[in-house]
Amino acid sequence: MLLRKLLRTAWSYKAQFISMIIMMTLGIGIFLGFNMEWKTIEYDVGNFFEQTKYADYRLYSETGFTKDDLEKIASIDGVDAATRYLSVNLEIKGDSKKALALDVSENYTVSQFTLMDGDGYDENGDGIWLSDKFAKLNDIRIGDTLTLEFQGLDISGKVAGLIKSGEHMICLADSNQVMPDFNTFGFAYISPAKLGEIIRERALNTVKDELKKAGVPDEMINEQAEKMLTDEALAEAADKAFLQINLLSALEKSELEDAVKEKLGKTLMVVPKEDHAVYKEAMGEATEGKAMGSILPVLFLAIAILTMVTTMHRISTQEKTQIGVLKALGFKNRTILLHYSFYGLFIGVVGAALGGVLGYFVCKMVMSENGMMGTYFDMPDWSAATPAFCYPIVAGTVLLLALISFLSVRVQLRGTAADALRPYTPKKMKKSVLEKLPFFSGMSFSTKWNLRDLMRHKSRFAMTLVGIVGCMILLVGGLGMRDTMAGFLDLLDNGISHYATKVNIVENAEREKVDKLIADLDGDWESYSGISIDGYTATLDIVCNENGRFRIIDENNKDIDLRDDGVYLCLRLADRAKIGEYIEFSPYGGEEAYRVKVVGYNRSIMTESVTMTDKYADELGIKYSVSAVYTNKDSSEIPSSELISGKQDKRQLMDSFQSFVSIMDSMVFILVVAAVILGIVVLYNLGIMSYVERSRELATLKVLGFRNKKIGQLLISQNIWLTVIGVILGLPAGLGTLYWMLTALAGEYEMKLMLGPLTYSVSILLTFSVSLLVGWMVARKNKKIDMVEALKNTE
Amino acid sequence: MAIVKFDNVSRIYTSGDHELRALDHVSFTLDEGKFVVILGPSGAGKSTLLNLLGGLDSPSEGTITVSGSDISKLTDNELADYRASTVGFVFQFYNLIPTLTVYENVKLVSEISENALGAKDMIGKVGLLDHLNNFPSELSGGEQQRISIARALCKNPKILLCDEPTGALDSETGVMVLKLLLDMAKNYGKTIVIVTHNQNIAKMADVVIRVKNGKIRDITEQENPLSADEVEW
Repeated sequence: MLLRKLLRTAWSYKAQFISMIIMMTLGIGIFLGFNMEWKTIEYDVGNFFEQTKYADYRLYSETGFTKDDLEKIASIDGVDAATRYLSVNLEIKGDSKKALALDVSENYTVSQFTLMDGDGYDENGDGIWLSDKFAKLNDIRIGDTLTLEFQGLDISGKVAGLIKSGEHMICLADSNQVMPDFNTFGFAYISPAKLGEIIRERALNTVKDELKKAGVPDEMINEQAEKMLTDEALAEAADKAFLQINLLSALEKSELEDAVKEKLGKTLMVVPKEDHAVYKEAMGEATEGKAMGSILPVLFLAIAILTMVTTMHRISTQEKTQIGVLKALGFKNRTILLHYSFYGLFIGVVGAALGGVLGYFVCKMVMSENGMMGTYFDMPDWSAATPAFCYPIVAGTVLLLALISFLSVRVQLRGTAADALRPYTPKKMKKSVLEKLPFFSGMSFSTKWNLRDLMRHKSRFAMTLVGIVGCMILLVGGLGMRDTMAGFLDLLDNGISHYATKVNIVENAEREKVDKLIADLDGDWESYSGISIDGYTATLDIVCNENGRFRIIDENNKDIDLRDDGVYLCLRLADRAKIGEYIEFSPYGGEEAYRVKVVGYNRSIMTESVTMTDKYADELGIKYSVSAVYTNKDSSEIPSSELISGKQDKRQLMDSFQSFVSIMDSMVFILVVAAVILGIVVLYNLGIMSYVERSRELATLKVLGFRNKKIGQLLISQNIWLTVIGVILGLPAGLGTLYWMLTALAGEYEMKLMLGPLTYSVSILLTFSVSLLVGWMVARKNKKIDMVEALKNTE
Repeated sequence: MAIVKFDNVSRIYTSGDHELRALDHVSFTLDEGKFVVILGPSGAGKSTLLNLLGGLDSPSEGTITVSGSDISKLTDNELADYRASTVGFVFQFYNLIPTLTVYENVKLVSEISENALGAKDMIGKVGLLDHLNNFPSELSGGEQQRISIARALCKNPKILLCDEPTGALDSETGVMVLKLLLDMAKNYGKTIVIVTHNQNIAKMADVVIRVKNGKIRDITEQENPLSADEVEW
């Protein structure tokens, strides 16, 4: 029988019940969704890395690694496996807009791939194992022939299999690219045997050129060249090709660095997986998920729980007579408490169940092949995973709701059955601090009425504010993120980059030839390399931008006229030294150290860098090679050359951001929808509560002769007051949250908050619209108020 | 001169197939400036009658004319204007706005009534000038009812409608409030209609309307009504 009463009572408070269930669903759904998202990243990415033997460390050498070097490295205690590794970006022949990272794992013990279709790996195979995503988007099938251009040489082979690889799980052409674009850039593996053939052919061509120059007759060139090409020469050419050793090891970075130095007799650039772009970005996403998982769900859960406290208190006061009747009838306190605790339990269980479903969808919306991360990560398994701590938290929340109901009703059960039977007496009105304000007495009756009502019902007041502030935070955060991203892209596109094509130069290219290429392309250039500042890894950026193909800017986005007597620290390194102070750095792969004066700070959007002019670098005697040339020529006008390792069209690069922007748009959409739902649910629930609490006063006003419209205005004006306060508090809170989110979510880029007037206006207007809509929905009820009924009972 | 005319008025409440006639073809007239008591047991229909006269409810049948205007077909807004200008209410449970002070509760009606009288003046008349800035919860029941009378009269209505105005008060306070109510109404020349089941109050009335089962049992005009002091409480 009590169950029937429970259901009927729940139905009579349906607005409150539904809104609390929605809040619980949102709270638990978002909590689970975000936490499942990062856990899924960690779990699936971790599995994929393990499956493909993703390297724990990468060692780099500009001069390459010999087989002997590899053996020495492999013999280090604690190194489980090591391979010489090559990864080079190559254009597809006949289509300068498309390129592949071509990888070779010499002994295939580290950095493997996962076969999705076709033939498995064969160390002597002649085929090409191609990224399945690239193949699909470019309509390439198994058995098709693929030709790549490698420094003036054609590499041709049949597609043997379609693959995915941990090394290229986030497949980016270089550090400038933010989002993978498999339409234009993918990856492929070839066997070391095939690489050997390519190296042989390339070496043979070089010898033939030399013989031709020496005047050897054409008919003898081939034979002579074959004779001149010794195994030693070939081995030397292969050594130069393998600029990287990938290894599996649980050693600490410093331990490995020391061991490598001891074995090879020189310092090498040792990059742990934590600093490798793919691992760093993937784990960065998980960290971002954790960060997101710790603020939004907390906001929603806190609001859900607070709404529950306020609403259950109101329901229990309204049910006080019923509670008294049950007590008078002889029901034990325990039975009554249990009965009412079921209200909270019911809301909790339904909310948790729906929240679980919502959480799964939120997670899948982000972490699935067709979800937001589907364009970012390229991996075979997208199974959802839930962190273990989520289960007790969800169970605890459900129990907490039951406890809230329990405690709310226990208050009403105090004393005798006769006490319980008496209707609930609201708090007596007392003078608040507001009354002491000099201008208070001059306020209109409706203002005073509303202000005192708020002071009388502080928890409702606080909850409404939390709802409005939450709504503003989500709107400013969401729309502001979009603005900031748009500003960032505009700065990158129009502010910094004034070139059409970025031409990447091969390592160890002859400087004279590079200078000629720079002149031919009428370009500017930069050299970037890894340096250590007191053990911290940064990029040394040596620039020559006489033609203004790219700009170095200060924190206000103004051009910096670079000085030739010092370095510029990017803003993220600014705390390392003040202007005028000195820093010391040493390039990786060498023993030298340079002490330089800091002459300014610059904004370096993509990398954490120390920037200097080529003149200053020459003066210091730093050895460097040109990494990239920036030109206004279209990539199709730039012929392939042994100097060029790849070309990147600026338009193509900017287009690759589009998928990033569309992910951002989806997130903004979710945040705006969440803001509106949050606003409507919280404000409607509290609005109805306020309406019920004040129904007697409203009826009195009606009896006195106040028109419905005037009473409606009175109700809405309270919402407007609260919205004004909420907006004033919510705006800085939203900006703070956005700043925090940018730091947490995009720490790898130097972004500045850039919010347009439209974002401010839309956030404020939307919050006001939600508030007014809810106010109007509640005020409409005023028409139906039964004056006679409302005035019947005593307060 | 008749200020109120009920002509064949019925109020029927329906609930599913059930029909309840709270008032059943009631007709009567009330003269201006009279003190009228509507007497009857619980459920007789006296409050329904008061609600219809006060414009809180509309009749299912018949017409109600007040000061020559038919109020039975008025819209919500017109009824609100009628309540604001023509009638003042005094309730058993006072119905003051708890978040407004004594002064503000009385002053409130000046927002809707064009002919409102001075709020302080009215509070002075009910003897509560010392409590201007107190909230209703800080006053006794009798004091609250006096404020309620001040508020009702402050609108300067033609008719004062009182629903068991002494019902929540002890007899001593009740007599005091009643005296005040009558004195004020007389001073300001108002028609006063009190709904009660207290026979003693009826002894003070110019006209007594007895209601039972939704019908008027009789209407008595009393030539020499007693004063509050003369009635044995």
